[in-house]
Amino acid sequence: MDEVFKALADGSRRSLLDRLHARNGQTLNELCEGLAMTRQAVTKHLVILEEANLVTTIRQGREKLHYLNPVPIHQIGERWIRKFERGKLAALSELKRQLEKRDE
Amino acid sequence: MNLDQFKPLTVYTIYIASTPEKVWEALTSAEFSRKYFSGFAVEMEPKLGGSFVVHAPDGSEHIRGEVFEYDPPRRLTVSWNVNWPDLVEKLGTTIVTYEIEQAGEAVRLTLSQRHDRELSDDILSGGRTGWPAILSGLKSLLETGKAPHIEMSPPVRLLEALKAMGIKVP
Repeated sequence: MDEVFKALADGSRRSLLDRLHARNGQTLNELCEGLAMTRQAVTKHLVILEEANLVTTIRQGREKLHYLNPVPIHQIGERWIRKFERGKLAALSELKRQLEKRDE
Repeated sequence: MNLDQFKPLTVYTIYIASTPEKVWEALTSAEFSRKYFSGFAVEMEPKLGGSFVVHAPDGSEHIRGEVFEYDPPRRLTVSWNVNWPDLVEKLGTTIVTYEIEQAGEAVRLTLSQRHDRELSDDILSGGRTGWPAILSGLKSLLETGKAPHIEMSPPVRLLEALKAMGIKVP
């Protein structure tokens, strides 16, 4: 679990996860597109994310595709967010979203 | 069916302190699946071309598919078609593959869900909500002998999207 928190404690790595969240199953080239990071930096971050099991890959033909793997985050949720709290947290998130939308 | 036409749209990996044989058994037997898969019973004919069926807790047939890759205890590919009218016609067949590899003292289980067409995040949200809970339950069961009861709320986003496509949902 240390690895998960270490991997998440970096803005570049979180932005890679955001990109996969927006579109799952990208190649390294696709992930590098439009990023201000070098290909080597992206590769290095992906290794850390894979070691933390936050990103998983699969080979499809000649391509290696990257996927956001939320399983470790789910396990963190199971450990600290009890079942009866989940509804309240969802309601609070929704309230925040609605209030922020109004300010747009 | 040509599996190459199916692209993985959702892929999950989990590490389990167990053996490949036990993970395989847990994935393919009703006795195990009822404990980690909200009471659903997986029944599989253990051979290539065999049937793959999942019964809901009320006994109804929820999923019917076929075994497309059978390599125990390493790789299993099945079609995973939910028995709702028109669903397969509109969304195409769903292919699910489990890959099981030894990783030191643990087993690395990778699940991929593949489709032959692009599907919206709303449609995919069903699996994306369900699989992490199922896999976590499987891990707990194999590691501790007990799977926690995980309350699975109905996949509202998926059901709304299916309704919008004219698919009758229960």
